[in-house]
Amino acid sequence: MKDVLRAFLATSLAFFVYSLAGSAGPMLIVVLNAFSVVVLYFSVRRGEVFGAFLGTACGLVQDSFSLGVFGVGGLTKTLLGFWAGFVSRRIDVAPFFRNGLFMLVISVLEMILWVLVTAVVRRESLNFHGGLILLQPLVTAVLGSSLFAFERRFRARGSRGA
Amino acid sequence: MPLWENRRSVLILAGLAAFNILLISIQIPRGAEKSLFERSIFFLYSPVQRAVTGAIRGLGSLWTNYFDLRGVRGENQQLKKEIFFRNQDVRFLEDRLGLFQSEAQVRESLAAFQGTIVLARVIGADSANPYQTIVLDKGGLDGIGKDMAVCDRFGNLVGRTIAPVGLKETMVQLITDKDSSVSVVSAVDRLTGSVTGKSGAFCELRYVLASTSGGQPGEELLTTGYDKIYPAGLRVGSIRSLEKDESTPTFRRIAVEPYFRFNTIDIVAVITKAGGGK
Repeated sequence: MKDVLRAFLATSLAFFVYSLAGSAGPMLIVVLNAFSVVVLYFSVRRGEVFGAFLGTACGLVQDSFSLGVFGVGGLTKTLLGFWAGFVSRRIDVAPFFRNGLFMLVISVLEMILWVLVTAVVRRESLNFHGGLILLQPLVTAVLGSSLFAFERRFRARGSRGA
Repeated sequence: MPLWENRRSVLILAGLAAFNILLISIQIPRGAEKSLFERSIFFLYSPVQRAVTGAIRGLGSLWTNYFDLRGVRGENQQLKKEIFFRNQDVRFLEDRLGLFQSEAQVRESLAAFQGTIVLARVIGADSANPYQTIVLDKGGLDGIGKDMAVCDRFGNLVGRTIAPVGLKETMVQLITDKDSSVSVVSAVDRLTGSVTGKSGAFCELRYVLASTSGGQPGEELLTTGYDKIYPAGLRVGSIRSLEKDESTPTFRRIAVEPYFRFNTIDIVAVITKAGGGK
């Protein structure tokens, strides 16, 4: 039950950031995918099953606010959550640079999958917004690994204080 | 049971992937039409989006209206000067207008618009591509329904309202969306066609026969009203370029630059059919 509540809060948090980015400037949505950051973060922390469920939830919420085919985001984010959780259980992704590289690779895979699925489903070439969309995996990786680094520093400070 | 325990995570992944693939497959070839499930999620989350945008605007307004008042005095002086010149312009234009129409006629034409326009704020953009849809903070309770034209503050066409229309939120399909289609006519050479988006910054004018002459870069495009969605005479954009289309020799390839800009659609006007809220 706790996990379900956390998943719901995480999805709402991603939605909050998405709304924030949308009101700041529409192009920010192209570069910053808050849903991917949340899915990556929780998948690494909680494993592949949790990541897959959260990926489905986040992807479907993202799809609801898009005119694209409903389920494409759900499918890609389900696989993103599963991959991230699965790989992070088998290799150590705790160090900052390794963490960043891991997230970059996973985010690039997600983007490739999204482009392929969208191209197959909608039978059209995608708008890459002058290459701006290619920055999305990089931004996701930087934000995701920064989140872990911030959390580590915060915990270390907490344990020193105690 | 042993299969479930050994391969639990893979089976869950397969189940979730199958669920998403099922969702995708039941929509094809429906595509843009929203399913009941999709509408439910929109109804659940759109008030959150509204609250977030409202809070940000409120904070911004608090800062600009109460704290950041530097340069207001100078700006005030400048505005007073501008008002003086604007008043002179208005008087000049009123005199000129009086030559063509009586005051009663002017009032009558303006009255036709009263109560048929609902002003709304943009609270969100499409999560996958901002050139496809936006979300407004007004909905069914304000008199907004499906298939109503939406214009920016300068009267340029932005798009049309589409389902789902919430009680206080509405989704708008932009004219730059690839599934959008607006019947238009060019202002000078009367080229008639359909402006279709490309899910990018520019659109294209389709179904103009190659045998048709006329049309120049910069020529304005206006709605015809034939599609029964957009009222006639709304400004859509201007012709950017005209080329021969080798792939479809029957028609001309005409690129169109829409007039609306993302930085001017913070507030938009929805043209309701039967009048709306304030």
